[in-house]
Amino acid sequence: MQRPRVARQPAFLLLASEFGSATLNEKGSGEYDPSFVITKLGAKVNRVIVAGLLERLEMRETSNGSTLFQGQLRDPTGLHYFSVGDYNSEMMRELSNQWSERTELGEPILLMMTAKTRWYQTDEGAVYTSLRPEEACEISRDVYANWLLDACQSTMMRMKALTASLELEPTMEAYQRSELPEGMKQGLLASRNHYEEVDLEPFNLHLMQALDIAEGRIEAATTPPPVVRLPDGGGDPSADSDDALDSCILQVIQHFDQGEGVDFETVLKNAAAQGFIREHAESALERMTDGGTIQEPRFGWFRVVSSPEE
Amino acid sequence: MSEEKYADYIEAVLKECPEASPDEIAEAFSKYETEFYIPPQDAMRSVLRRFKSGTSPVGSKAATKQERVTKKVAMLSELSGDDRDIEIEVAIITHNIRDQMIRGEEKQIAFGMLEDNPWEDSGTKTRWDYKDWGPQANLASGSIVRIEGASVNEYNGKMSLNINQSTRIVVLKEGVATTVASNDPIDISTVPKEGYICVVGRVLASRPDQIHRKDGSGSIDVVRGRIADESGTIGFLSWEPFDHEVGTLLKIDGAQVRSFRDTPELNFGRTTKIEVFHDANFSDLDTLADSTSQTISQFRDGSRDVDAVVQITEWARRSFTKDGVEKFLWSGQIADPTGRCRMSAWEELPISESDLPITVRLKAVRVRAWQGIPDVTVDQAAQLEILEKPPWDAELDLTNHAVEVSLPDMVSGASRVGLETTGFIISVREDSGLIRRCTECRRVLRDGACADHGANEGNEDVRLRLVVDDDGASAAVLVNKEATLKVLGLSLEQMHSAIEEHGDLGFVQQVRESLLGRRIKASGRSIVDDQGAMLLADGLEIIERDAQLRATELRALWGWV
Repeated sequence: MQRPRVARQPAFLLLASEFGSATLNEKGSGEYDPSFVITKLGAKVNRVIVAGLLERLEMRETSNGSTLFQGQLRDPTGLHYFSVGDYNSEMMRELSNQWSERTELGEPILLMMTAKTRWYQTDEGAVYTSLRPEEACEISRDVYANWLLDACQSTMMRMKALTASLELEPTMEAYQRSELPEGMKQGLLASRNHYEEVDLEPFNLHLMQALDIAEGRIEAATTPPPVVRLPDGGGDPSADSDDALDSCILQVIQHFDQGEGVDFETVLKNAAAQGFIREHAESALERMTDGGTIQEPRFGWFRVVSSPEE
Repeated sequence: MSEEKYADYIEAVLKECPEASPDEIAEAFSKYETEFYIPPQDAMRSVLRRFKSGTSPVGSKAATKQERVTKKVAMLSELSGDDRDIEIEVAIITHNIRDQMIRGEEKQIAFGMLEDNPWEDSGTKTRWDYKDWGPQANLASGSIVRIEGASVNEYNGKMSLNINQSTRIVVLKEGVATTVASNDPIDISTVPKEGYICVVGRVLASRPDQIHRKDGSGSIDVVRGRIADESGTIGFLSWEPFDHEVGTLLKIDGAQVRSFRDTPELNFGRTTKIEVFHDANFSDLDTLADSTSQTISQFRDGSRDVDAVVQITEWARRSFTKDGVEKFLWSGQIADPTGRCRMSAWEELPISESDLPITVRLKAVRVRAWQGIPDVTVDQAAQLEILEKPPWDAELDLTNHAVEVSLPDMVSGASRVGLETTGFIISVREDSGLIRRCTECRRVLRDGACADHGANEGNEDVRLRLVVDDDGASAAVLVNKEATLKVLGLSLEQMHSAIEEHGDLGFVQQVRESLLGRRIKASGRSIVDDQGAMLLADGLEIIERDAQLRATELRALWGWV
């Protein structure tokens, strides 16, 4: 049957925090309809080009006997989670194998990666995003710096479009008539209908940090170190005790608080980086806020009320 | 030196790895920071790993999502009365909107008839009624759509489809809106590809013509011509007598737009109302004729009566034999500041090769396209007027002039020659590198064989096959041999030995390392069709950028210091 070919999906330049904080997705019911993740900034993405430090890449056996590589790519704003499996090209799997051995030895590897976006939803309804690489290669730090800047620029455009879109009636008609970038209209509207008011502050902070790093001004980008207990890699997240989680969250907030509190994303990201399950951290944060150990001076920002004795 | 700076981090690492040496830890942090732009807090995990062995964090298992079960069918006859969630591709035959009271509320609903098997010209087609409770804005008669998530209704043995608000309508082929001939004239430049419209315009050209029936049963007298308003011009074809003189201002209501190749044309028939229009302010013929001159970038396949000023940069006579008689055809390259294309003439033009480049005004020429590239046809020498000098900067060398076109514009525009575009390299395909082309047709051999000419040795060639994206647009880019070697900084011999050493795929991976994610500028010619956009590049260069400078610029752009 003759059928118009589905156009190739363009790639978005996305920083990890924008992709990681997305909880909205869209998939047509047709067999060949592409699936999308829609970010808070209204990027409706099926494909991304990302870069960062390969922080972890481990091979594991799946239940059906095939091998799967799971990895994390870190950019200045957070982590991308990706997996490479049998569906990937021979080349991609071979590279994963080599990179995983080298990462194991602690060798830093900077990667550029094009990938398809994936998402899944837990039984509780929480949505997680991840990447399925198509192509990847090692890059130099200069290429990385330029990619960071490209991604920053792209993020800025989206922040601008999002801000402009808030002036409009939240209808497709109004968006169609507007001068918003054509490719952003659907995503922006979907984002607006799904996400509660999007706070641009974390995005601004992340951009500044990314710019600092791209500029080589690491000093400025360096925030106080988390001197909390770091995960031993073999930590079993199911063994999370509330106490450990609570104290982790408290310490994260204390360490990052520079007077205005610490934003939601940073708290969760740090808890997750230390091996706690994100949704557990989310509910712990809520419980502690309700319990009065933590206060929320404005929406999404947290500070410690009374320091626990240590 | 850096030990103090990293004191806190080193302490954290030491807590985990008491045996590690603080110096080495400091060195590791310093390496991450200076060589990889990774600040210590981000490098923490990687450094820890280096000083510790044995890691196996447990990942969480993805919950498999239950897909909704959709019944996909090709024919309406495959459906039964109790199907609730179906998907089918149909042609919308009729579409009517009416107001109906539903539960005390006035609501618009749409109803009509649809037909299955929309893609074949012949074959069994079944028609059903449908009701659209949405109503969906993108249903229109004449369109072909995929309906996803409709339900079947059976009443007294008669089947129909119910389309709801939650049903998804994917328009596969645009239809004609049901509303016929509004009385508001529209600008000629906004004439749609299909539909009934009303325009006000001045007759620019008009001449009687005949259309011969294909079955040989005679011919029909028609009038062809062109009308213009300030926004543009459009050709027309009148199936009824049309005796308005050139220069007459007309209001034409109920003209049907049909598209020949990429060019819309107005058809006047029995139901078209044509009357002389009076508007003293409407531009006169000369003004319109001047403003209707087109640029090469505006040439569309199938256009007729095109006026343009172009420069002929190459011109040669070719001969061919038809029915045993040797005939001549003249052809060459033309250019203007918006692009380049080919031109052919069936009569000798008063041009000799030594005059080139030469600027000419073309009058009422035809535009055809080959592989999407416009080819102007000059039927008579009288259609050409030689100009003293070009209306643009005479210093401009158009022979190798590449017009800068953004990638989104390239992808949504017509095919063209001589353009330059920028974007990010998203993919380096595995069939980049050395290839062998069929000795007969230059097609790339697969497993040593050509699809048409079978197994052959082939001729070696070099190319890159890339995907380049920018601003939400995506195009395939094929880079030729010279440009490939140049961008990779390799000689053919060096490339051969690199492939020998690393293998085909290993070489591609090396290419990726030097190209993936880079911002590039590519020049060449584009082919845009329903398969997407492709750039055949004879030039490719990585845009070198200074990160420091760019960061400062970006800060300024965003208003930070």
